[in-house]
Amino acid sequence: MKDVYVVGGALHPAGRHYDKNIDDLAAAVLDKAIADAQADIEALFVASSTAELGNKQQLLGVYVLESLGLDKIPVFRIENGDGSGGAAVVAAYHALRAGEYNCVAVVGVDKPNDVLSNQQQDIYATTLDTHFERYFGFTPLSYAALMAKMYLKKYEYKYEDLARWAVLMHAHGAGNPYAYFRRPVKLEDAVNSEVVSEPLRLYDVGPLADGAAAAVLCNNKKKDGPRILSVTTSTNAVGFNARNEYDVLYSLEEAARSALKKAGITPRDIAAAEVHDSFSIFGALALEGLGIVKRGGALAALREGDLPVNLSGGFKARGNILGATGVYQVVELAWQLMGREFKRVEGNYGVVHSMGGVDRVSTVIVVGL
Amino acid sequence: MKHESVPIYWRNIPQYYRLVAKRCKKCGAVHFPPVVRCRCGSKELEDLELPKEGKLVEFTVLHQVGTDFLKQKPLVVGLVELSNGVRVVGQIVDAQVEKLAPGAKVEVVFRRVVADGKHGLVMYGYKFRPVGL
Ligand SMILES: [Zn+2]
Repeated sequence: MKDVYVVGGALHPAGRHYDKNIDDLAAAVLDKAIADAQADIEALFVASSTAELGNKQQLLGVYVLESLGLDKIPVFRIENGDGSGGAAVVAAYHALRAGEYNCVAVVGVDKPNDVLSNQQQDIYATTLDTHFERYFGFTPLSYAALMAKMYLKKYEYKYEDLARWAVLMHAHGAGNPYAYFRRPVKLEDAVNSEVVSEPLRLYDVGPLADGAAAAVLCNNKKKDGPRILSVTTSTNAVGFNARNEYDVLYSLEEAARSALKKAGITPRDIAAAEVHDSFSIFGALALEGLGIVKRGGALAALREGDLPVNLSGGFKARGNILGATGVYQVVELAWQLMGREFKRVEGNYGVVHSMGGVDRVSTVIVVGL
Repeated sequence: MKHESVPIYWRNIPQYYRLVAKRCKKCGAVHFPPVVRCRCGSKELEDLELPKEGKLVEFTVLHQVGTDFLKQKPLVVGLVELSNGVRVVGQIVDAQVEKLAPGAKVEVVFRRVVADGKHGLVMYGYKFRPVGL
């Protein structure tokens, strides 16, 4: 089996990009990633959560290639909801490992701001069971709130303990030139923000943002790009009503266990993690699911001070770019290990956690120098 | 979502109106929403109408809603454990939120879920109402 390296990458700043169509936004960032890699790509893997529902475009990859004048390149569209990005990297990784291609690109793009905010809620809610959850008005936020409520009670935390997540994310986001929000916030700002689904407040929610990210992955090590040591995707095919516990991310636990084992590392070796904190509680549960802290210990660890998690600012500060986010995370992590655009992390291993829906599918990607 | 699909609604009426679940004939596990294969491996499943009373496990008051629920916002939504132990999620209605707490007794009520403006089609389903609060 061939090794897989992150040879090139590019990010578009997260934000409100009313001036660009979805295919053009993706094309711009893909063009930069290819130039960065100085390699010809043989296939394109496209991650998007809502291109059809929000932007009215199927076959997105073809239009991205057309925009760049690239013909005859195979395209594969991956949709795993807001976990599409991680899954697309997995698909690309397997194609390279098998030796089918030498160099491929993964582009992630989503433009939630092409529709109104209530329509965004409609669309995001289709990551839930459309017939028995979304139909009755549930959204991912409502489930995150229920899980947060049960977690805070079970481990006897105050809301303030959870609000520290947003403070940490904004502190990190201030160092990310591609983040939606690049300013620090105070704990009191988070604690006094508007209640959106109690106990969660506005600062517990990663704001939906437009954006695109691209990575070029190749079989040969080139320049100083890090290697993808392992990938695992796992699912939690159990309805929210039938879960055993509400304070654990089952899809992540399995993906993390498997990916770390394949990479031959332990949670202690993780120098940096980019996790799927679409809602603050998921960030806390992801720290526990990766084994970085023990179950119930995430908010206590947060109280102690800084953690090397989401140096990008996470979903709260970088933004929630839905299906593109997993590709952002892989590029961000690669750059953190290389000391490019970000301060170099102290260590040689990092992990990405990309999740679709409310703990329905998780991908863990281990990257090492 | 604006303009829900009529065929999708129509085919889910047994669940929306009467909470028809599937029970595995082999191991007795009850599945709601219905499945075609039990986790034990058996495909021998029979319809089972779920009980219409239970208790609240947890709830939240949701202020950011989709287009169909703008007029009903905020929505009280939660997790309910029915008297046979099967859990179901749904809206909690007619509740004084400040009195609502885990363990509260609830009953199933039949209510309007979506009033589709353009086609005038009204869609119904189960919701939960606190008892004795
Ligand atoms: Zn069974």
